[in-house]
Amino acid sequence: MQFNPCTKHKLIRDSVRNFAETELAPIAAEIDRKAIFPRDVMEKMAPLNYFGLQVPKEFGGAALDSISAAIVVEELSRVCAAIGLCVTVHNGVAVFPLLKFASNEQKKEYLPKLASGEFIGAFSLTEANAGSDSASVETTAIKSNKGYILNGTKIFVTNGGVCNLALIFALTGFEPGKPQSSVFIVESKYPGFLRGELEDLCGMRANPVSSLFLEDCCVPENNLLGKIGDGMKIGLSTLDNGRIGVAAQALGIAQGAFEAAVKYARERQQFKKPIASLQTVQNYIADMATEIAAARLLLYRACSLKDAGTPFGCEASMAKLYCSSVASKVTSLAVQIHGGYGYSKEYDVERYFRDAKVTEIYEGTSEIQRMVIARSILSQLTF
Amino acid sequence: MLKLVVCIKQIPRVTELPWDEKTGTLRRDLAAGMMNPACKHALEAALQIKETLSAKITVITMGPPSAEEILREALALGADEAILICDRLLAGSDTFATSLILKEAIQKKCPKFDLILCGAYTADSETAQVGPQLAEELDLPAAAYVEKLEIEGRTLRVRRLVDNFRETLEMEFPALVTISMENYKPRYTGLAGLENAFEENDIAVLDAKSLGFNAASIETKGSRTKVRKVFLRKAPKGNVILQGAASHVVNEFLDKYQRKIGTVIGKSIEEKNLNDKK
Repeated sequence: MQFNPCTKHKLIRDSVRNFAETELAPIAAEIDRKAIFPRDVMEKMAPLNYFGLQVPKEFGGAALDSISAAIVVEELSRVCAAIGLCVTVHNGVAVFPLLKFASNEQKKEYLPKLASGEFIGAFSLTEANAGSDSASVETTAIKSNKGYILNGTKIFVTNGGVCNLALIFALTGFEPGKPQSSVFIVESKYPGFLRGELEDLCGMRANPVSSLFLEDCCVPENNLLGKIGDGMKIGLSTLDNGRIGVAAQALGIAQGAFEAAVKYARERQQFKKPIASLQTVQNYIADMATEIAAARLLLYRACSLKDAGTPFGCEASMAKLYCSSVASKVTSLAVQIHGGYGYSKEYDVERYFRDAKVTEIYEGTSEIQRMVIARSILSQLTF
Repeated sequence: MLKLVVCIKQIPRVTELPWDEKTGTLRRDLAAGMMNPACKHALEAALQIKETLSAKITVITMGPPSAEEILREALALGADEAILICDRLLAGSDTFATSLILKEAIQKKCPKFDLILCGAYTADSETAQVGPQLAEELDLPAAAYVEKLEIEGRTLRVRRLVDNFRETLEMEFPALVTISMENYKPRYTGLAGLENAFEENDIAVLDAKSLGFNAASIETKGSRTKVRKVFLRKAPKGNVILQGAASHVVNEFLDKYQRKIGTVIGKSIEEKNLNDKK
């Protein structure tokens, strides 16, 4: 068991950190306040393979291992969580299911476009009545002589406002006793693919989260991902992977808030000495550092299981549950250490605090993660 | 095909550099390493040559095993071959010894080089000596603080800023230049490049013996300088408050401080004019 980062992981961290601090740090507060998606920065990220983290080289990707991919998301989110979100959703839940379930023709058609950043991807399961209960999807796909005709409304689609391709979950029939869902690769240029207004959210404001409307949207037959009825299988597998990405994102937010808090505690003078010399503040810092370190180990364990080809769903849920909880706690303490200034938009911790909350909600709420973990534990015969 | 050699150095990440005020030493062991910024500019210059002309880039460094990091980074950026000179015997070499060691390594591993590029200076010691000393040892035409390179056949034309004027020099290959931080802004490292740098490249490691050095020869040919003391220069701090009407305050400020700020203001105006003309 290796606990020290290898040279490759260290270099990947350094290079992404350099990019994020140079390109994202100067704009992170502004794009959050004005809810702007920074396309110019995206164009700089594309040739550096940020959109093809784990795509094989033959399709133009970087073919990174899962810990490296997590480090990329972590370091982007440490500076700007909304961009970390764009990258992790694109790679983790739009590209990943294509890598795992797409036909060779579909891979040849879409992976190069996604890996080069020409296409930004989205994953679209959630509906007004289908969140944690993913089996209640109401969007339908009906086969016709032209392909599949999709109708329905998807909500809270991360990257929805800018995506060129979305994986859409839709009902394709009923098995005895339960609905049967399937997944379709839908390009934004298809007639009947419409975007709603961008959501006005508490955090992650630079990410264009929107609804998607499918109005008699005709999708070629070849764009069915996997087989008819594979929806649940693809969805669960994708969410396992997506949870690693959200865990990495939450960890990055926690790390960013932690560093800001330590810096502030060293500089801020009260009672004629830095507040870092006060034991209460030291206790906060000690707790934050310890929990971040534990969260990181849990995340990298899920990544290494994934790379070893062993089941990693339970560990991904543990990582997501713990990292997001640590992010919420650490960002809250970071605001506390900053006092009144922490509540002001003048300091970054206010943004980190808002960004952290949603990591406990999307890609499966903390309550759902506990359900997944408990089911996995209770189904094991031995420990 | 042009054969380019880029000499690079790993330095402590300056913002993280712990400093022991009692002993006056830098705690290099505690600091994370990074490629010296000017070396990054030198590598960028070589990469830009490679993009327009056919060229092979060899990067070379001397340092502890951790210096592998900057070689991998250079490979990720587009260098073709990497050499690490690593031996406890060579630790603590001064600029003179370093240039002797680099000379041996270059003659052994890439004797038919056309151009050697170095960073103009390092951010940790700032001597700016290794490049020129290496040129002397290899008996090469050289120019330091170069901000622009042009190659025509076997002729190298370089532009550099010296004492507020720019000069253009020409020399024939083989030659050596040290690159300043004016131009050649380093590119970002791509993730696929980093992955390839670990999968597809080996790093050649040279020790003292393979370069013909042993304890005795290092004793005689080795470092000729010794650092006696390092100390933190304490500049006196104190605010000066000028009071009175604005016109009076401005006049008083200029009377007192014009000599100190005049050159700075003059230089920035001059540079702006030059940039505008460009």
